Amino acid sequence: MAADDVNLAERPGSLVESHRTYDTRLIFFYFVVAALLLVLAGGLAYQQIVKTTVHGDAEKFQNQRRILIPGPRGNIYARDGVTILVGNRPRFAVMLHLDELKLELRREHIRIHNNYLAAGEKKDVPSYSQLEQLARVSLVQRYLDQLNVILGRDDQADPKKVGAHFQQNLLLPFPLLTDLSPEEFAKLVERLPVRSPLEPTTTIVRDYPFGSAAAHTLGIVGSTDDIESEDLPGEGLRTFKLKGSVGQDGLEKTFDSLLQGEAGGIIYRVDPTGYKVNPPLEKRLPVQGKNLVTSIDIDLQLAAEEAIGDQIGAAVAVDVATGEVLAIASKPDYDLSKFRAPGTIADIEARHAWTNLALNGFYPPGSTFKIVTAIAGMRRGVLPLDQPIVDCEGYLKVGNRLFPCENGLVHHGEILLRNAIAQSCEIFFYKAGELTTIESLAAEAKRFHLDQRTGIELPGEGGRMIVPDPEWKLKAVKEKWFPGDTALTATGQGFVLVTPLQMACFAASVARGEVWTQPTLVHQEGRPAQHTEPIGLTPAQRAALIDGMVGCTTTGTAKTLTSIEGYRIAGVHIAGKTGTPQKDVFRDGKASKINYAWFICFAPAENPEIAVAIAIEGDTPGETFGGGEHAAPIADAVLKKYFEKKNRAASPAASPFKVD
Amino acid sequence: MPFRRLSTARPFLTLGLVVGAWLVVPVVVKTFARASFFELTAPISVSASYLRDLQQYWALRLHSNDELVRAGHDLSGVLSRYEFAVQQNTEMRAEIERLEGLLRLPAFANFRMEHARVASRDFSGWWQRIVIRKGANYGVPVGAPVIFAGGVVGRVAEVHAYTAVVELITSQNVRLAGVVEGDTRPISFQGGLNPTFGPPKGVVEFVPLDVFAAPNATKRLVTSGLGGVFPPGLTIGEINTLAISSDGLFKTGEVKLDERLGSISEVSVLVPLEQP
Repeated sequence: MAADDVNLAERPGSLVESHRTYDTRLIFFYFVVAALLLVLAGGLAYQQIVKTTVHGDAEKFQNQRRILIPGPRGNIYARDGVTILVGNRPRFAVMLHLDELKLELRREHIRIHNNYLAAGEKKDVPSYSQLEQLARVSLVQRYLDQLNVILGRDDQADPKKVGAHFQQNLLLPFPLLTDLSPEEFAKLVERLPVRSPLEPTTTIVRDYPFGSAAAHTLGIVGSTDDIESEDLPGEGLRTFKLKGSVGQDGLEKTFDSLLQGEAGGIIYRVDPTGYKVNPPLEKRLPVQGKNLVTSIDIDLQLAAEEAIGDQIGAAVAVDVATGEVLAIASKPDYDLSKFRAPGTIADIEARHAWTNLALNGFYPPGSTFKIVTAIAGMRRGVLPLDQPIVDCEGYLKVGNRLFPCENGLVHHGEILLRNAIAQSCEIFFYKAGELTTIESLAAEAKRFHLDQRTGIELPGEGGRMIVPDPEWKLKAVKEKWFPGDTALTATGQGFVLVTPLQMACFAASVARGEVWTQPTLVHQEGRPAQHTEPIGLTPAQRAALIDGMVGCTTTGTAKTLTSIEGYRIAGVHIAGKTGTPQKDVFRDGKASKINYAWFICFAPAENPEIAVAIAIEGDTPGETFGGGEHAAPIADAVLKKYFEKKNRAASPAASPFKVD
Repeated sequence: MPFRRLSTARPFLTLGLVVGAWLVVPVVVKTFARASFFELTAPISVSASYLRDLQQYWALRLHSNDELVRAGHDLSGVLSRYEFAVQQNTEMRAEIERLEGLLRLPAFANFRMEHARVASRDFSGWWQRIVIRKGANYGVPVGAPVIFAGGVVGRVAEVHAYTAVVELITSQNVRLAGVVEGDTRPISFQGGLNPTFGPPKGVVEFVPLDVFAAPNATKRLVTSGLGGVFPPGLTIGEINTLAISSDGLFKTGEVKLDERLGSISEVSVLVPLEQP
């Protein structure tokens, strides 16, 4: 054996391969293999160490989903801080949890497919995606039918909504019914099996306990997907958002960032088909938004709205000292609690109820502007208190035009300032305007900010207010200024346009003897009194002005407030001024005029606390429609409620009966 | 050797065959077998219940005459109080009927009270049930509310020939629409995860944020009457804790239930006069 081995190994040209123990050429391949292994190891290290975060994020993005839940909005309170003007209430709903339907959906898919085959319609069998959609709708309808049986309803599943929800919001439960009454909710709670994929649940919607009260001021909210989620974890994850709300008008819009709640979030792990796996990985609770205490006194607000009734117009009541708006009513309005009902929007548009007339009702102020004229004249020294400036005989020629006093039917004679204000003598103020000059008149009106927005915390305050002067007329109307324009401006007609809110601020300013009142809708306990530039009247001039305004409500154009028992407020003197401007209209092929009824006032005249402005639109040409008859009673209703509340609060509590 | 291995595996084979056979048996047969099993075992539990009653009877017979006289005195005192309460209730019911007639309010759904003794209890982490000694023979329907002196007991879950199974409100499978006493907003009550011998509790959901409760200031939870199953005003329990729910929109809380639910021996089934 051994000899044979030796021979074989030594035989030259043998077929048996011989190896040396070590071949140096192999070293090259060792390096190659080692280099390749190093590359692999380096790649592995790079992926595992350097790109850990990237892969972790990708894994999270693939396996985790985030649901954002908006926080409930804060409440809006009346000035007492207790009465809720806008709150939140539960809205009862039934949700269908899709993550529990995976198997059922598969079976339904197969069943529908088999039905097609059984019907011999093999070539007409829908595609996979069509079958999937059919199965989804069929399954959702089956669950909806369960609810229909319990509730006695006949609701049908909307295929579009079902399809869209499965495509886009698979992680969120599908809302089957969202408008359940408390009774229906209770029925479902007791009658649906606990283990059912159907879950009776509640969401939150805005609640308006006072319906249409202060509708324009409070405003509405709309739904939004834009939920703030900056501080929430899982920013890079695929996110599903529950609908949030956003203020669209009124205080809801102005204070949206304050009222808006802080969003919460839940992060779920999902299975490969996208259905969530409980329990959630992370959860953060939403937080309710902050509350807002408004300056609105709901009793005054309701009194104003009730007094306006079905008329078109606005009423504003302002706290004289602080400028806090106590009531701000605009009619026609709309019921906030029924805002989402079908047909509501069309109804609001048909009634022209969108406009907040307190802010955007631009009316000629009529004779209420005579207070500006009187102040301008007194400050310029052209209106003596004890001497007549004109003899009112019914007409006065200004320039080439004859201007009447109450259609020329009234002769006030040689009337003094006090009486001219009380009786609203046109001739006196035509003359006063002429003596004061349009420049002084316009400057005085501008000093009272009647040419500017008030800056109240409400969106959409219009800027169409006009205090005309020759420069303005030339620019806007392309005409020069006539003496008649001055006469018209002095009596609040012609080109002058103001809003009820402006006039309420003006009345408050006159009451304080200052030139500007900044209105606010935010209540602040112990808010300091506003102080601006004094009007600049002597005590006698101011007394004459106030006397004239009190005379308006006792013997003048608004004497109904004291002569009629039902309007009288015991122990309170009201300083007021009526206005009845006219507007040219073209109706039924004829040019005619309609009236506006104005009334501005403050009370008590001796120590003013509340200022009110009312503007009501007449709707019938030629109709007798005046500030004294139609606007003053509305202001009276507001004042009556104010002093009734004040007296009630001041009256001592009834002492308990005590026997010693 | 193979034969011996087969003989040792025979029990497993048998079990496998039985399980396999059970799997292929039609559903109708399974349902029948289950119902028959319950009906067959029902007399045992009912007999045991009667025996317990007998045992209690003889235990009471062993008391001395003095004790019985004292108990008799106590009982007469209790009876007189109850008689007075019954008189008051009669007067109040008459007054309620008068006011309902005056205001034209609809009367509450009418129920027939069917009193029944508890035959057996079945408490576990999975279910909380009692079996009562009345069933289809007394017209007890599935879903009927069951009450006792402390309020709501639960709902009838199954009805058999002479017995019925009542799912207690301590069970997670029972959900009711309740209201906080004095409030009108419906909230959802569900039995909690109750250990066998632990104090019974439940959970409430969708409690408005302006409702507050604490262990030292509990709120009584009563049936709402809105669901159409339970009449209004029956005590469910006392809400003793409330916390903001996971969505932050409402509160959820714990309800302390009557501890007598664990030892209850007599209940009343409210059989609706008009079947829903």
